[in-house]
Amino acid sequence: MRILQSLAICFFAFSLQAQLPVPTNGTPLKPQDSFVLTDVTIRISPEKTIENGTIIVRDGIIQDVGKTIILPNDLPIISGNGRVVIPSFIEINSSIGLPEVKGKGWDPSPQMDTKKNGPYYWNESIHPEIDPTDLYSVDGQAIDELQKMGFGLAVTHQADGVAQGTGTLVTLGKQNARDQIVTPKIAGFYSFRKGVSQQTYPSSQMGSIALIRQAFYDAEWHASYGKEPNYSLDALWQQRLKPSVFATSDAFEILRVDQIAREFGRQFIIVGSGHEYELGNIWDTLKHTLVISLTFPEAYEVKDPYVARQIPLADLKHWELAPGNPGYLFQQKVPFLITTTGLKNAADFWKNIHKALALGWSVEDALRALTIAPATQLGVDKQFGTIEKNKWACFTLYDSDPFLYDAKVTDVFVKGLRETKITLPEADIRGIYSLNIDGVKHILTIAGSCQRPEAKIGLPRTVKDEKSLTEKRDTLTVDAYLNYTENDVVLQFSMNNKAIENYSLKGILNTRVWIMEGQGTNAAGKWIKWSAIRNKGPESTKAEPVWTAKTDFRMNPSYPNMAFGFDARPKEETIIFENATVWTNEAEGILTNATVVVKNGKIQAVYSGSSSYTVPAGARVVNAQGKHLTAGIIDEHSHIAISKGVNEGGQAISAEVRIGDVVTADDINVYRQLSGGVTAAQLLHGSANPIGGQSALIKLKWGHLPQDYLIKDAPKFVKFALGENVKQANWGDFNTVRFPQTRMGVEQVYVDAFARALAYHDARVKDQTIPRDLELDALYEIVTGVRKISCHSYIQSEINMLMHVADSFGFKVNTFTHILEGYKVADKMKEHGVGASTFSDWWAYKFEVKDAVPFNASLMHQMGIVVAINSDDGEMGRRLNQEAAKVIKYGGVTEEEAWKMVTLNPAKLLHLDDRMGSVKAGKDADLVLWTTNPLSIDAKVLYTVVDGEVLFDRDADLKKQQEMEVERARIIALMVEANKNGEPSKPFVRKKRGAYHCSTLGEELSTGSNEH
Amino acid sequence: MRAFIIFIVGILFQLAAFSQEKRILIENATVHVGNGQVFEKGLVGIVGNKITLVRNALAYTYKRDDWDTIINLDGHHLYPGFVAPNTTLGLTEIESVRASNDFREVGPLNPHVRALIAYNCESDILSTVRTNGVLLTQTTPRGGYISGSSSVMLTDCWNWEDGAVRQDDGIHVNWPESLQGGGWWAEPAPKKRNEKYEEEKQQLYAFFDQARAYQRKEGESEDVRFAAMKACFNGNKRVYLHANEVQQLLDILDFVARFELPFPVIVGGYDSYMIKEKLAEKKIPIMLPRLHSLPENDGDAIDLVYRLPFILQNAGIKFCLQNEGDMEAMNARNLPFLAGTAKAYGLNEEDAVRCITLSACEIMGVEKNFGSIEEGKNATLYVSTGNALDMRTNQASLILVNGNFVSTANFQTDLYLKYKKKYGL
Repeated sequence: MRILQSLAICFFAFSLQAQLPVPTNGTPLKPQDSFVLTDVTIRISPEKTIENGTIIVRDGIIQDVGKTIILPNDLPIISGNGRVVIPSFIEINSSIGLPEVKGKGWDPSPQMDTKKNGPYYWNESIHPEIDPTDLYSVDGQAIDELQKMGFGLAVTHQADGVAQGTGTLVTLGKQNARDQIVTPKIAGFYSFRKGVSQQTYPSSQMGSIALIRQAFYDAEWHASYGKEPNYSLDALWQQRLKPSVFATSDAFEILRVDQIAREFGRQFIIVGSGHEYELGNIWDTLKHTLVISLTFPEAYEVKDPYVARQIPLADLKHWELAPGNPGYLFQQKVPFLITTTGLKNAADFWKNIHKALALGWSVEDALRALTIAPATQLGVDKQFGTIEKNKWACFTLYDSDPFLYDAKVTDVFVKGLRETKITLPEADIRGIYSLNIDGVKHILTIAGSCQRPEAKIGLPRTVKDEKSLTEKRDTLTVDAYLNYTENDVVLQFSMNNKAIENYSLKGILNTRVWIMEGQGTNAAGKWIKWSAIRNKGPESTKAEPVWTAKTDFRMNPSYPNMAFGFDARPKEETIIFENATVWTNEAEGILTNATVVVKNGKIQAVYSGSSSYTVPAGARVVNAQGKHLTAGIIDEHSHIAISKGVNEGGQAISAEVRIGDVVTADDINVYRQLSGGVTAAQLLHGSANPIGGQSALIKLKWGHLPQDYLIKDAPKFVKFALGENVKQANWGDFNTVRFPQTRMGVEQVYVDAFARALAYHDARVKDQTIPRDLELDALYEIVTGVRKISCHSYIQSEINMLMHVADSFGFKVNTFTHILEGYKVADKMKEHGVGASTFSDWWAYKFEVKDAVPFNASLMHQMGIVVAINSDDGEMGRRLNQEAAKVIKYGGVTEEEAWKMVTLNPAKLLHLDDRMGSVKAGKDADLVLWTTNPLSIDAKVLYTVVDGEVLFDRDADLKKQQEMEVERARIIALMVEANKNGEPSKPFVRKKRGAYHCSTLGEELSTGSNEH
Repeated sequence: MRAFIIFIVGILFQLAAFSQEKRILIENATVHVGNGQVFEKGLVGIVGNKITLVRNALAYTYKRDDWDTIINLDGHHLYPGFVAPNTTLGLTEIESVRASNDFREVGPLNPHVRALIAYNCESDILSTVRTNGVLLTQTTPRGGYISGSSSVMLTDCWNWEDGAVRQDDGIHVNWPESLQGGGWWAEPAPKKRNEKYEEEKQQLYAFFDQARAYQRKEGESEDVRFAAMKACFNGNKRVYLHANEVQQLLDILDFVARFELPFPVIVGGYDSYMIKEKLAEKKIPIMLPRLHSLPENDGDAIDLVYRLPFILQNAGIKFCLQNEGDMEAMNARNLPFLAGTAKAYGLNEEDAVRCITLSACEIMGVEKNFGSIEEGKNATLYVSTGNALDMRTNQASLILVNGNFVSTANFQTDLYLKYKKKYGL
């Protein structure tokens, strides 16, 4: 048994050590990577710590570690003097030692195609083939800073583009670049950022998402069927088996990465943004390891109240809560690693670790997150991550436990090679000494810390007071420069503030009897003898931990974590609106004194007149006497709640991009529109190209996560656009490259796209080896009528054209949106069966809306077309009731029909009228209670209910405003405190240290600084 | 003489025959005077282009024979023509067509540039704005620190000369931004302090210093810029200071005091509610930001902008509405609905009318002849079948500009009728 074990050890040690012989110049110097380290506290692993331990290292490998082990006699012994050993930390998200990726410089003319030579992917943002190993060089300064934080290993990669390439595991030591390389291509790196590529595509986050999805599909296809070389796809395919690190820049991007992971059955290591706590309690559904930065936001400068009031509540709250993020995730049992991204120095790193530990994180988990967890993720946990037998001797020596105390790194061991960062004194020399300099008695006081002692020299003297002529005894005290290494003591000082009259003493300390003795020069430059004897040793001071758990800290983000966010995620209620005037949008018309019961998110019943009913227990009963209750407003054309780009305008067709991928839940306009009675909307792609992206049909679920905004099983929609925007007519003189530049070209884009989609589908049915194309998939859905078109349109000619194109392919256009010249072709539209969603009165903003008339909606309505009034505007979205009222003014539509144009009619256009758009039992409880007739200029919303949840309540809104004022004031007060303590005192600290060196102004400066 | 008695239907056809000096009596109207008063049964007499009589019909007996024409408004609402201050109306036709834009001159300091001469009386946009009741406008240039001089114009005219109610009524100063950034509504971003704010402010100070010194000089050769500035110091021109942030507003108060400007006006004043006591004390009037705009900051009350008129009225600050912003020219026709919003959020109806009529005229210095239906004032009037501040009921039935009847139709109503006819509707 024992033999087997030692055999295994030998084999493993050999496998770490075996190297090809390399010719050397002269006799090779044996590396000094074998030693015994004794008298140390060892954090072997997160679970296990031993005190007074010993580590035996041979050839860079840990041979043994423990409390009582037999020491070999052929190795040098390093005494740790009670210091603390911790396994080297591993940084997974670094670009250390790599050159900055630079772009080609701005060119106003759009670049449609890749400019890269060689068999690479068609898009310059996808370059998984990049292996930075060749580019790696030793960046001593950066390594030094990471070493001071405790890091000994890093994965370095070039953070550019969507598929960024691989990372290389390197050690952080003194070796040359070649010897630092541990494992090339250890992980793949991804992001949603386009990077330095100047290709027009992608120009939005949804474009990046579509691009990476397509690239993953392409890689899979290429592996099986690809006949032409493609280095990018080869690399991408190989990387699927490696740890994949995905960078994000806000909390919702984590959910987007998760979507991709689910689609491709992958796991990602997701680099977070520090906002993860804002997602709340959802982590049991996200099976990814996170990488959390310890960069916490700095306090804002809040001295100027006019500037301070501009700071969004979201930022104030994040400033307060961000340090609690690691603790929160720990308590949610989310596996995570730590990255130093964004941190400038080691002091901040440890300061922030301590902050996080005080707010609910544990030391063991912190150690895990920095050592064995990344090692395991990278698959190098057999070699690194703990201080255990047969692993590489990669660890860091601290003067005290850095997780608890203000500690310093003294030595770094990289594969057994020692690098000393600071030399500690051999003994604690603090105390009070009688100092004899050339026969004159002085008092030497050594205080400060054991590691960084500080000295003062006192000279007792007799002073004559000039007024009273009495003699007084006092002591003249000055600061002295003290340096103590090994047993050498250096003291330098000046008794009269003049640097030139300097005493400079050097001697040795005998720590058995505590006597210093030596020679030096006096103020006159004459050589003298000096000695000192300690009268009093240091007062024993036990170090205090630098942090204590803050039990009063509450991780209380609001949902969303910003102005007007809820304290908790909203829940559906049972609500009864009594005595209301109800605009049913049904055959019953407008009911007076009616009652509407809401339960389980649905309208349970609508009673007209004085019907009796039972009030369910726990129901919220609203007396709506004199008030008007309507179905929620549905905005057929909206661009709110979209993250990082509403247009993927890089190509003429972007049917593959999906607004649903980038819905965000922190757009204040959602709340504002709820206050205007909007409960649902079609979030449309922009109008930059003839075929835009896929729509998201949402409810305005303020307080929920993006995925909860999306309407379940919603019909599929896509944005089309015609006219000036798609031919880039108003984009300046450089944008004359992309096809189409005329309305003539637009038609052919469609004809060509649909023909290609049909051919693609036919081919795929017959031949499984035809690669999947996300754009053609979507186009095929369109041409077969599965995905419905909402088409931005103005001029009658192009409206006519699209209907003809659709007819020729045998499908129908669902909706023309904007459709400002619809009145000119209303008969043709009626015949085609297309609906219209238009502005009430916009015109004159561009040439193609010259003939737009506000009677348009009314006229199309009179022709029997389903007409909706939409906003396309964050402001107008909250006044759609007023926009509907304009249809009464311009063309005399009745009030009920006008009201349907913002409720039932958009529901019809979106094929959601079976669940929304009217007040009818069984439909979704999307309801609005108005102070009066909703079409009146006086109308205000009292309640907006979505799926039975009260998401706007005018009284609660007023209360919230007051609470927000209080919350702002509270956090700003904390920031003022931080401004005082942190930011202005930082320069002061440096000043004080300087003052010690020049010795004379010390007292004055520190008095001055105490004002802070 | 026997009066024609005309009912509102078909009025234009018959009126075409009248000459200007005819005596016209409007009866049976709800008269919104513009100064806060209202006559439920009002009488308004017009001779030539002047209003000669405004009475409550219930307390006034009149001889019908004294009038050439009597128009029975049948309960319709009569308003002074609405006033759209601070707008590029008349200076632009199609926003995205550069050739049709005449409101932004090159250079930072252009007090000598006059909007008036580019005012297009035949603008299609004007015709659509008129029919919603906007009969007076302050045509205003944009851009730079000093955009140029505005003029108060009628929205119906033959040429800019006869359309001008007050030529070069003031210069427009765009106060430097104290805060910058902010993204846009689809992707908002927090604002940051403008690091160059002080420097930019000093440029304005320096220019005004020079301009003031210049006006004391005698017999020098003309500098067109400083010549245009002269009237700002002697009270013949207003100085319109465009600003929204509280820091800017406070600095403007200092600026106004320093140069002893006789007629300063703040245009914008989003943050005015924060320093309302100061503004009231200094008696500086404010042309409020477009009420139909989003709050500036995430945390601002959702209806803060809507409530500004009420807040300022309670603070005793003189104010009026204006409409600067996206598509402001075509959007000027929605000015009455901004007043309607002011009413919904606190003002009483007549005060809401006042803030787009008399108050605006007072602020621009044309209240002697315009802004209210009072004897001696110019007959520039708008009649709507119902409440003109509500979308549903703003329906032009009669428009008088400078005593002339103006068509209630425009090219848009023409197109509507044309296509109705095509479809047989």
